[in-house]
Formats: sequence, structure tokens, C-alpha cells
Amino acid sequence: MAVGDLIQLLFSTAIIPAAFGGVAWGILGGALPGISPSITMALLLPFTYGMDSTVAVVLLASTYVGAEYGGSIPAILIGTPGTNAAAATVIDGYEMKRQGKAGEALGISLYSGFVGGLFGFLVLVLLTERLSNVALAFTPSSYFALGMLGLSVIASLAGDSLLKGLIAGVIGLMIATIGTDPVTGLNRFTFGSPELLSGIPAILVMVGLFAVSEMLVQTTAPAWEKATHETARIRFPTPALWRRIARPQAIGSVIGACEGMMPGAGGAISSFLAYNEARRWSRHSEEFGHGSPEGVAAPEAANNTVACTALVPMLSLGIPSSNSAAVLLGGFLMHELVPGPMLFVQHGEVVRGLYAGLLVANIAMLIIGYLIMGPCIWLVSRPKPYLMAFIYALVVSGVYAFQASLFNVGIALAFGVVGYALRYFAVPFLPMVLGVVLGFMIESNYRRALVLSNGDLSTFVRNPISAALLATAFVVLAAQLMRQAKSRANAR
Amino acid sequence: MRNRDLLFGIATLVVAAVYYGLAVAIPQSDLADPVGPQGLPRVYALLLAGLSLILIARSLRPSATNPSASNPESRVPNPGTGIPRVIGMLLIGVAYIIVLPWFGYLLSVAALITATIYFQGGSINGRSILVALSGAAIFWLLFIWLLRIQYPAGLWPSVI
Repeated sequence: MAVGDLIQLLFSTAIIPAAFGGVAWGILGGALPGISPSITMALLLPFTYGMDSTVAVVLLASTYVGAEYGGSIPAILIGTPGTNAAAATVIDGYEMKRQGKAGEALGISLYSGFVGGLFGFLVLVLLTERLSNVALAFTPSSYFALGMLGLSVIASLAGDSLLKGLIAGVIGLMIATIGTDPVTGLNRFTFGSPELLSGIPAILVMVGLFAVSEMLVQTTAPAWEKATHETARIRFPTPALWRRIARPQAIGSVIGACEGMMPGAGGAISSFLAYNEARRWSRHSEEFGHGSPEGVAAPEAANNTVACTALVPMLSLGIPSSNSAAVLLGGFLMHELVPGPMLFVQHGEVVRGLYAGLLVANIAMLIIGYLIMGPCIWLVSRPKPYLMAFIYALVVSGVYAFQASLFNVGIALAFGVVGYALRYFAVPFLPMVLGVVLGFMIESNYRRALVLSNGDLSTFVRNPISAALLATAFVVLAAQLMRQAKSRANAR
Repeated sequence: MRNRDLLFGIATLVVAAVYYGLAVAIPQSDLADPVGPQGLPRVYALLLAGLSLILIARSLRPSATNPSASNPESRVPNPGTGIPRVIGMLLIGVAYIIVLPWFGYLLSVAALITATIYFQGGSINGRSILVALSGAAIFWLLFIWLLRIQYPAGLWPSVI
């Protein structure tokens, strides 16, 4: 698409206001714990019905972009991710906030999100049609292997205690088995409760473990230090910091691009993988978990890359790789736009409009993100009892809004107690979150793969994609084990 | 800390045993695949039991150290003095669940904010009540007016 055509396209329709509006709405929704990007988009869906097709899909896609970034705001400011994908940002982002570097962390997040978003946009434009055959080759054994690769990240998330991390991860997998069995349809661990038939949504586990348990801890903790005016102001990276975070941004962008295109992967896996790899390749790996700027840059670049590259399988094959992509698919279908190879032939103007809109949305994210952060940082400086009260109200309101269910509020509170206990026992709970997020994908595809192969376990190594993913998972796990063994030997 | 590891290991071992018991009680299905609905849950239970036993054994070793003490996530709260306030915070949430269908969203959220301010170390005075009511109004505007989420209206419609 020529530059002249792009400019004409931008100004001939309401693409620019749609992109800005979608990003603003997305950041607001993403920043609210419990309101996921898919909910933010779904709330907007009915309003797009009467709109021009191009404007409607731009509005929805821009909301996705904004929400993926917005999730990092509460992750940094209150230690709870607004979205699944922002969970990895909590580790160092919230630690930076504790050190009085909230403004710097938010600046890194915004800038990295912008970089990742632009990279994802380029990948989307260049590869959407060309790489569709890769996703076509995925089988259940490949999906299972993808899940195992995601789980292997536990080795790094577990901190210094791999054993406790593995325990937390297995408990997460157990939680993921609650609900209707994916193959037979039998109810498991539901105790006759209809609310548990569809399982425990990962967002409830995350809100409970992160937000509610944090509130419980804060109840017994002294008041935190107020952010001064200087530290509370958003600070974009200095040239030195820019150079330092360039590598994790590149790692996050590449991982986000690869993972985003894989159906079922999504932002959560890519952000954890990016965090893991950034730590592995960092010259300051010891700072990870203690407020490392690289630990914020990598996952934020990754999940914002995913917001664009997740559209690759959706646009080329009609396969949504995430809940948000599924909502966007709903928007396409509502306007009688059927994703797939014919979309590029029959509705090329919509695809081009979407590309242009996503480019504007990533620029808009930088502007709106900067403007919205001021009030967010102001909030952190309020008296602790008032702030905690508002966070509590926001959490219970947001959790209820998820499925209009008071039962869900109870579940989130219960996981708050679990999170409090895990903190007491010095157990990292991020592996548990990963287990919950990946559990369904791992079990359903493991069983489907065995059904298709008549119970032959070699199917997981005979499929080249599956074999490659499993080998990578093994290498990640083995490398972490060797690293721990080496550090123990050095300690002696 | 080693005592905490031991306690955690025992707790997760109990979880594994209970979960295994529930897993084997899952009924068989004629539609079941080779793995079946019990398959992976049983594996998870056995895996958890094995990991728990290793943790217990490690915590009982005289020379055992606890490398996880440096884990940044593991800010161990002081349950000795603060546990009544923690329970209070939980009870506020439980009370919110109970009263929401009766009092409606606006009043329930205002009450939750007021009670939380108190349990977080603030005092109940005119300012805190004003903040709570203002906060409830903001949340009402955001969730009910803007996002159009259907919260229970409570008994107010019938009273009015």
C-alpha cells in the first residue's frame, strides 16, 4: 500500500477518531482489574453494529491494542495485572513502584508497548497472507507441546525454589481440571454447583492471588512511601536506559510475534516467555525480580506485539488465537466479513483500513497512554486506607461485572486467602497462574492427540512442530536446573 | 522457615490425597478416550504428592537451607498481630456479597469503602463517609451507567 493511498484512506473515513477512541476505551478497560480486553471489546461490540465496516473493525482492534497496554497500569501501580498478559509485568513493575520508580516503570511499559506494537504491526502486514500455512499445520499434539513449552517457564518463575514453583504449577493444573471434562462432557470437581460447570476463569484466580491477597497483606503492613512529585511523573527512558532495554524489547517483540501467530498461545504465554528469555540473555539477570527495567520492557513489548500478530491467524484462517481475537472475529462476522483468503480479495479495503487503523492506534497509545497515566499516578499517592478501599471496591465490582455473578466474587476472595497463604509459605504463585491458564489447553489437546493416534505416545515426537516445541521446553527446563545446580555448587 | 516448608509440604500432601480421592470418584463414561476424565487428575495428584514428600524430606534435613527466602514475591506477613484485621477484610467482602442483593450496588459499595478505610487504619469521620459516598457514585457511573452492567438494584425499587 503506497503512502499516498494510506493517507487518503485515513482521512476519507473515520479511522483516526475510531483508533483514538478505541485505544482510550481499551486502556480504561484494561486498567480495571477483572475487566479483560475481551470484555472491554465485547461491551463495545453492540455499538459497532450500525457503523461502517472498516471503522467498526478499527475501533475493536484499537480497543484490543489499548487494553493490552492498559493491563500494565494496575500491574505496576497496585501489583495486580489488569489483563492476563500483564501478569509478568507485575514481577518487576510493582517492585519498581515499591522503590519509588512508578513513573519510570510506566514510561518503560508505554514505550516498550509502542515498540512492540509497531513491530507486531509490521509482522501483521508482511506475513498475514504468507504465513497462514504454518498455523494450518498445527495439530492437537502441537497444541499440547505448545502448552508444555509455556509450562517450562515455571522453572524461571519459581525464583530460587524450583520445587515450590513446581508444586504451585501442579496445583494450578489441578484448578484447571474443575468443570466439564473437555472430551466426555462429564462434570469434575463441581460438587453439584452449576457455577463451576465452566470451570474457574483464570481472571478470578489472578485477581484473588494478586489483588485480594495484596490487600490482605497491606492490612498488616505499614503505610507505603508516598511517591514524590518528581518520582510520580511519568518518565520516558533516558538514552542509557533506552539502550539497556533495547535487547529485551527485541526479545519480547520477536517472541510476541511468534507466539501471537500461534493459535491458542496469546499474550500471557508470550509475556512470560519474553520475561524468561530477557532474564536469560541479560547482563543484569540478578536484578530480575528486584525491579529490573528489562523485566518490564520484555513482557510489555511481547504482549503489545501479540495484540497485532494475534490477528494473523484470525484474518488469514478465521482462527481466533485468543478471547479478544474471538470477539474481533464476532465483529467481522456481524458485518458479514468472513476472514480467510477471500477476505483479502473481496474486502481488501477493510483489511487495508484495519492496517491503517492499527498503525494509528499504536501512535495513539503513546499519546493517550501518556495523558491517562497522570491521573493514575496521582491515585497511587492517595492515603493508603482510602486507596485500598477504592481498590477493594474496584476488585469486587470488576469481578462481578465479568459474568454478573456474586459467586465469582466469593471465588476471588477464596483465592485471596490462598494467595495470602502462599505468601506466608514463601511460595511463588505465578507458576500457579500459568498452570491455570494452560491447563485446559494441555489436557484437551493431549487427549485429542492420543485419540487421533490410537493411544500412540510417539505422536508427540513424530510431529515435527510438536517435537521442536517439546525439545525447546526440555532445553528451557534443563538450563534452569543446571543454573540452579551451579549456583548451589558455588554457594558451597 | 523450615517449619513453614514442612507445614506447606504436609498441607499440599493433604490436598493431593483429597484431590486423588475425588479424581477416582469421577464416574466412567462410555464416551471416554484412552486417558479418560480421571487420567490427568490422577497424574496431577500423584505428582503433587511426590513433590510434597520431597519438600517434607528436604525440610526435615538438619542442614537444609531455604533458598526461597529471598524470593521477592514472598513478603511474609506478620500473622501474629494482624490476623484479626485480615479476617476483618475478608468479612467485609463476604458481607458485601450478602448485602448486595438487598441494599443494591450504591449503598453496598459505599459501606464496603467505609469499612475498608477503617480496617486499613483510617478513621471513620465525615471526610471518610463523604469519600465513600463519592466513590460509590463514581463506581455507579462507571459500571452501571457507562458499562451498563446489571448489578442488583436491591430493595430500593419496591420501597420507592
